Amino acid sequence: MLSKDQTDMYLTASAVKINNVSKSFVQWQRDNTRRGLLRNLIKPEKRTIKALDDVSFEIRRGEFVAYAGPNGAGKSTTMKLLSGMLLPSDGQIEVMGKSPQKQRRELMKTLGVLFGNRTELWWDHPVIQSFEWKKVVWDIPDEVYRQNLELVTDLLDIGGLLKTFARELSLGQRMRADLGMMLLHSPELILLDEPTLGLDVIAKRQMIDFLKRINRENGVTIVVTSHDMDDLEEMAQRILMISDGKIAYDGLFAGLRDITGNLTRVAVAMENDTVPELRNASLLSSENQVHEYEIDLSCIPVKDLMSQLSSYDGIKDVEIRKAPIEQVIARLYTSWM
Amino acid sequence: MAVKAKILRILRLLAISAKMDLVWLLRDTKYAIAGITADIIGNLAVVSSVFLVAVRFGGIGGMSSDEVLFMMVYSTMVTGIFTMFGSGNNIHISRIIGRGQLEHLFIQPLSVRMQLATCGFSPFTGGSNFLVGLILLVIAVRRLELVVTPFWILSLIAYILTTMTVIVARAYLVSSTAFYAPVAAEEIATTAIDDTWFLSTFPLSGMPAYIQLPLITFLPEGLMAWFPSLCLLGRPPLGFSAYYPMLFALVIALVASYVFKKGMNYYVVKGSNRYVPYGFRR
Repeated sequence: MLSKDQTDMYLTASAVKINNVSKSFVQWQRDNTRRGLLRNLIKPEKRTIKALDDVSFEIRRGEFVAYAGPNGAGKSTTMKLLSGMLLPSDGQIEVMGKSPQKQRRELMKTLGVLFGNRTELWWDHPVIQSFEWKKVVWDIPDEVYRQNLELVTDLLDIGGLLKTFARELSLGQRMRADLGMMLLHSPELILLDEPTLGLDVIAKRQMIDFLKRINRENGVTIVVTSHDMDDLEEMAQRILMISDGKIAYDGLFAGLRDITGNLTRVAVAMENDTVPELRNASLLSSENQVHEYEIDLSCIPVKDLMSQLSSYDGIKDVEIRKAPIEQVIARLYTSWM
Repeated sequence: MAVKAKILRILRLLAISAKMDLVWLLRDTKYAIAGITADIIGNLAVVSSVFLVAVRFGGIGGMSSDEVLFMMVYSTMVTGIFTMFGSGNNIHISRIIGRGQLEHLFIQPLSVRMQLATCGFSPFTGGSNFLVGLILLVIAVRRLELVVTPFWILSLIAYILTTMTVIVARAYLVSSTAFYAPVAAEEIATTAIDDTWFLSTFPLSGMPAYIQLPLITFLPEGLMAWFPSLCLLGRPPLGFSAYYPMLFALVIALVASYVFKKGMNYYVVKGSNRYVPYGFRR
């Protein structure tokens, strides 16, 4: 991995450069009517989906960027384009100064890719065996392998997992092992697609702390996708928000909050049938004595919110979390009108 | 120098696959031995069934029982090499394509060709048939009183490589349909390889030409053992040249390479709308 001095040098260089990239997919449409079946036979109906529509952005080396968007927004498509798994319909892509399509093999020596719903570990072998396999396939020098193995074992706390078969790991353990394996060849850029998917709070915390640390101390550029705003804000400084294949926002999280406010969801569980009335909050739903409110925490401090709630008897539980990404984007669009 | 480095790289990749195969065998010895024994028994059963028929009837279609044995030995050795190099889904490639798992290959700093050629190497769990084939080869050669010269051994190796090329090329050719119909064609390589395998162990001598010809062209089961073994015995069938299998292998390999590349291009343009999280590694 990179030293801090090398990191400083990198700050001006580009890690990812995407210029006017579009990606379309064709979907077959079918209906089950008799007429539809016949029509499909003669002239199948197709629909073109534009996953990315003239997208441009640049990520500098050493940055930690959140790539956010609702499901189906084009996040995974972007990740696949950056890692050479897909070809763009239009536009140019440059990753670490290389074309993912034309220089895939060279690029993969400096790139680490991890999809949350996939594993690169060998299922029927202990974790350490997968690591040794990676050493050979990536042609990692002995000394680099030894150092990185020590590093990931220590930071990800996977020492106890190395001799365990991959198929016997829990999801959180598997993700840590996968992350460790991905880092063995000292990637300079890491692409993570939904890495926190399905992880419990502790596993998520471990992963986030680790990613922040390797970004800060080793200068590894990280691009992470998620549809969970809480996770992303915890990890990255900059957020690229994508919606319907277009970049809806590119900047710091603080800037996003200035535009959209600090949209928050508060769920209040009651022991009785009382529905608390909260100032500057709109009630979204009430079900089984659980009432969900939408609140902009930039208008009402948490202290005031708690003070309002404390005046009610029978409060069983209060949960505060960030608003879903779809709502942040909706607020973003509203602000432009 | 570059060639030497590439060869060393391939050897290292084969070595790690072999090591993983060995540790798997040593870890699950009970099951591995059961599997290897079943493989050997199954293969010996195939060899002996056809051989016993040949013995009972004093040969099949102009082939003596010992020539039939030699043909079966050839088939066993080919099966052995197939299981030694194709234990993953690297030859049953339609599974990887159909399950949307090619992306696992794209993120490795190796050509897809090199990955596929080396990742299924399992000499310890997959080599039993080849060893049985070698032992039976000695027996068949003695019974036939063949004069084994270095040229004959080289010819044997060349024919086995040719047969392997036909098997792999045909598997990749039909598997290319999985690029366009991933769900329907996920198991098409199994159909192309395994379901026609037994047909390849029957001597076609004595069959009418309208059966023999399709079986060495459109459905090349005759090239799996029958045609090459007769060539090695010094009498190529149907008046064909002894080099016909090589020519056929070259043509089918070129066609398969072209069609597979077209499929790969389609894959990276269209993407896969299917991902199955199991079975991309053995």
